[in-house]
Amino acid sequence: MKYLQSALTILFPVAIVLVIGAAVLLAAGYNPLTVYSDLMTEAFGGQRRIAASLSAATPLIFTGLAAAVAFRVGVFTVGAEGSLYVGALMAAWLGFTLTGLNGWLLAPLCLLAGAAAGMVWMLPPGLMKARLGIDEIVTTLMLNFIAIGLTTWLVNGPLLAPGAANSSTPQVAEAARLTRLMPPSTLTTGFLIALALLVTYAVWQRRRIGGYETLVGGLAPRFARAAGIDMPGLMLRMLLVSGAIAGLGGAIQVLGPIGRFVAGFSTGYGFTGIAVAILARGNPLGILIGAVLFGGLSTAGATIQLFSDVPIEIVNILQGLIMIFAVADFGLRGWFARRTARQTAAEGGQP
Amino acid sequence: MITDILFSALVMTTPLILAALGGLIHRSSGIVNVGLDGMMLLGALVAIIIASGGNWAVALVGAGFAGGVTGWLMSLGITRLRANEIIVGLGLNIAIAGAIRFYLKAAYGSSGNLMLPDVSRLPKIDLPLPGALGAVFSGHSILTWIAWALVPLTAWVLSRTALGLRLRACGTSAASAAAIGLHPKRMREGAGFVAGALSGLAGAYLSIGVVGLFNEGITGGRGFIALAAFYFGANRPWATAACALLFGIFDAVQIRLQGRGFPAELIQTLPYIMVCVVLLLLGLAARRRAQGKAASHG
Amino acid sequence: MSEINGADAAGGPRLGGVGLSKSFGPLKANDRIDFAARRGTIHAIVGGNGAGKSTLMKILQGLQAPDAGTVLVNGAPVVFRSPNDAIRAGIGMVHQEFTLIPGLTLLENLILGDEPRRAFGAIDRRVAGARAAELADLAGVRIDWTLMEEEAPVHMRQAVEILRLIYRGADVLILDEPTAVLAPPQIRELLALMANLRDQGNTILFISHKLDEVLAVADEVTVLRTGRVVVSRPAAGLDKAELARLMTGEPVTAPTAKPATPGAAVLELDGLGTGGEGAVALEDFSLVLHAGEIVGIAGVAGNGQDQIVGLVSGLMPTLRGRLRLAGQDITQHSTRERRALGLAYLSPDRKQEGLCLEASIAENLIASHQRKPRFGKAGFLNPIAIAGYADERVAAFDIKCASPQQPVGALSGGNQQKVAMARELYDSPRVLLACQPTRGVDIKGIAAIHQEILAFRDAGGAVLLISEELEELVQLSDRIVTIYGGRRTGEFPRGAAAMERIGRTMLGEVAA
Repeated sequence: MKYLQSALTILFPVAIVLVIGAAVLLAAGYNPLTVYSDLMTEAFGGQRRIAASLSAATPLIFTGLAAAVAFRVGVFTVGAEGSLYVGALMAAWLGFTLTGLNGWLLAPLCLLAGAAAGMVWMLPPGLMKARLGIDEIVTTLMLNFIAIGLTTWLVNGPLLAPGAANSSTPQVAEAARLTRLMPPSTLTTGFLIALALLVTYAVWQRRRIGGYETLVGGLAPRFARAAGIDMPGLMLRMLLVSGAIAGLGGAIQVLGPIGRFVAGFSTGYGFTGIAVAILARGNPLGILIGAVLFGGLSTAGATIQLFSDVPIEIVNILQGLIMIFAVADFGLRGWFARRTARQTAAEGGQP
Repeated sequence: MITDILFSALVMTTPLILAALGGLIHRSSGIVNVGLDGMMLLGALVAIIIASGGNWAVALVGAGFAGGVTGWLMSLGITRLRANEIIVGLGLNIAIAGAIRFYLKAAYGSSGNLMLPDVSRLPKIDLPLPGALGAVFSGHSILTWIAWALVPLTAWVLSRTALGLRLRACGTSAASAAAIGLHPKRMREGAGFVAGALSGLAGAYLSIGVVGLFNEGITGGRGFIALAAFYFGANRPWATAACALLFGIFDAVQIRLQGRGFPAELIQTLPYIMVCVVLLLLGLAARRRAQGKAASHG
Repeated sequence: MSEINGADAAGGPRLGGVGLSKSFGPLKANDRIDFAARRGTIHAIVGGNGAGKSTLMKILQGLQAPDAGTVLVNGAPVVFRSPNDAIRAGIGMVHQEFTLIPGLTLLENLILGDEPRRAFGAIDRRVAGARAAELADLAGVRIDWTLMEEEAPVHMRQAVEILRLIYRGADVLILDEPTAVLAPPQIRELLALMANLRDQGNTILFISHKLDEVLAVADEVTVLRTGRVVVSRPAAGLDKAELARLMTGEPVTAPTAKPATPGAAVLELDGLGTGGEGAVALEDFSLVLHAGEIVGIAGVAGNGQDQIVGLVSGLMPTLRGRLRLAGQDITQHSTRERRALGLAYLSPDRKQEGLCLEASIAENLIASHQRKPRFGKAGFLNPIAIAGYADERVAAFDIKCASPQQPVGALSGGNQQKVAMARELYDSPRVLLACQPTRGVDIKGIAAIHQEILAFRDAGGAVLLISEELEELVQLSDRIVTIYGGRRTGEFPRGAAAMERIGRTMLGEVAA
């Protein structure tokens, strides 16, 4: 029953979105079935395509996890995008500055610094939430724009690569670059780090005391407080962890596929990550599947352009719609909740 | 020079006021609308398509209607399907941007830009004012004056009419309002239409008022600046408009200063920083009030 | 307004009920209730917590359908399917939680939903203001209608809540504990307002457990106890002692517990005081709790019990006074630190604070113990140890469930409370702060929970028992401390505690 419920709550919004997408395609004169099957083939048909999809999924695993760890304790951050940017820039800066360092030292240093930067970026909204109860949604949203403006300014001025016209830093030292797993694909060891993080998260949420405390804290904050759990502190910590994960994701994009910081390098990874986390309802396997699906869609969209005239933007439409419908309540959960209530009443509890 | 800056500040302020007033009305009814930017973008596109070989007035109606329907649908998702307002707003922005690029490519084969012939531009109103006054206030589009006229109108409706009273009641306490027979959901959906319609007009102002063409970056995130304006204005129409004007001046100054070594990107983040600062100050004030109350007792 | 309700409708009392019954599982919240409120009278409904008042109100408002029985309006049977049906019949209710809307002025709150208008939908403020002044005159109260709701003093908001019902055409007013949030002078003012409205032909259903107020203003009184009508009669000739006896009943069971053998002092409350908005402030409250004894706090709801709970549990910051637990000063300790020193806390709000209904029984059972070595090492939880512990607790407390992995929300009220008890009594705490331990629990469950509390005491535990059930307090407590208006008013040892004397000190009389 529980699995059926989870499956339904995940599949139902996806199905609705696919139907709407099909209608859009039909209206524009494309055969939706062909487009969908082309997308699937381009995303997952063959080793190289799968590698490309996994590469595109990597940042989404980080941002999806970043959203999930905060949502779990009831902190509704939308700030992964901002942390991703500052983490990426920090990694790039160290990567092209400390060129003298050994690779074994430089790459981990850049990654750690990226995570730290992403974490620090979430400190102001975290403190505002924990100390003053200020709504974190608006502050983290605003911090995204501030992060984008700040990093863009830095790479257009102080950190602009000499001789480069576009807004980007110099390349990071070759030693800092992450190893490609299947050249020429951009899939790097960053994906393995993402997987390791997912496994860590899975273990943490089931086995660690923190996983337990965030679970009850998110479900019933007053209960958690009465049980002696320091809720403001826990919320702050999870928001910082969320920022660190997103910052690490940004650093991995820089040391992996891109090789430097480019303004606007994120195609809304932070926001897609929210969709991934909500759709997965915080489940680690769900985050992986969601990230690979969204990642696959975007790479397939890009390659499909090469041989057909189907506009790649259908993928953006699907992403946005999934975000909307993933948070919508179609009465499925309500239906299950009513069932439980009836059973409770039948067993003699007060409603 | 200074008159030029003020003139262009008024130009930059117009879309901000329109969208911010829409957001203010929606928020008064109880919904924080993060989708203003998408509705603006949609309005900009619809306006230019209708205005090409057509009439600017019809284009405004079309843009307002398109934005309004979008705002209404968004509100439906929040009121009826209980979706989180922020996520729906963000998702809507992504979906609309995608849909517009999809449409441009499918219908015009262009990527992100649309230049159409014979665009009927918004008429400009020349005022017989002397010297500097004329330079600042003359030659603005009709929508600029409509936007400013909407400020007192909104203030009047919200504070002086039964409709405004009910809207505020539903926004502050939906349960209490429903208990006395009002319909908070319908109120929010109606306010969503208004918010979308005003954002659509703001978009139309950009496409057929300012530049005469469309591109996918035409809003420049102004929907989010409008969000900052009505947060900063704390739901008061005049304060919101003043804030929009301030951001408009930032914008105008920033354009002038570009290329002179001033960091435009940093100036653009000022509205967002100001929202955080305002929230921080409000939070500190609330804590001081709570502490004062506890201390003064007993 | 009265024409809507048919002022001249023949016969019958304005509002009444015959044989109204409502059960929740084995719990009979209302059991064949009859009452009749005549037009132009104040009819008090009196009873302690759990007597069935709130269920009856929900039925009269159309929020709940009775299992059996009929609501009568003007003597004719009616069926209320929703609150709107009740409103159409001229019945309006003022809840304990105010429903006025902040950000609006008092005048705006009054007219909301039925605004006098001019052209373009503009509010006719002149007409509205005149109408408001007229209503205030009628009720004999002074109201500054221009104040914002959040700036208005509480008694003004209370008056507006009531006048709003009249403005919207109600002539039957149900007032649920309307004086709970008011200070004495304001209470007199409210009672006068009620009398004025009655004299104008309105009918008032006055729900209260404050006997002075009931006797001061009511024309008729219906007393409820455990879901049944004890008596329904004119107020004239009734005195406070008699009413208190009717309300609380005689202690049915003689104290069953062995006498206590108190040991050393474990919990010391020393001159505690709180501030707080609206609520009663606790003032200079001191109490010493010894090992092996149960001390009950008796008082009418809202006289400072919540503050004691908040301060002892650590969920509320202490502003004045000191707290000591097992000899240590814990005044500034967090809830976690207090629990580590041996404090256990059984919350009065089982659904939000006592349990996490969506989590499993096992997850609820380890809350507050999750960091103890039995359940894991180095920050890891040991699922086998937890499962073993959960099985052990489920068996020891006879919790009826399919498996410890079941969500707690699926259990009955009594079994839910047993889960909370099983958790709080684990690992031999020194002090159990037990609040409303049997609220919403059926009779069998109550007996089991009382057993556990007594067993805990006999094993040397100290219990601070806070309950609105006087019977429960008398049965369990070795000492009873009475509280009124945030102050201690008396202390009674077991046995010597004549119900009636406790009742009087609960009502503000200071015991000699």
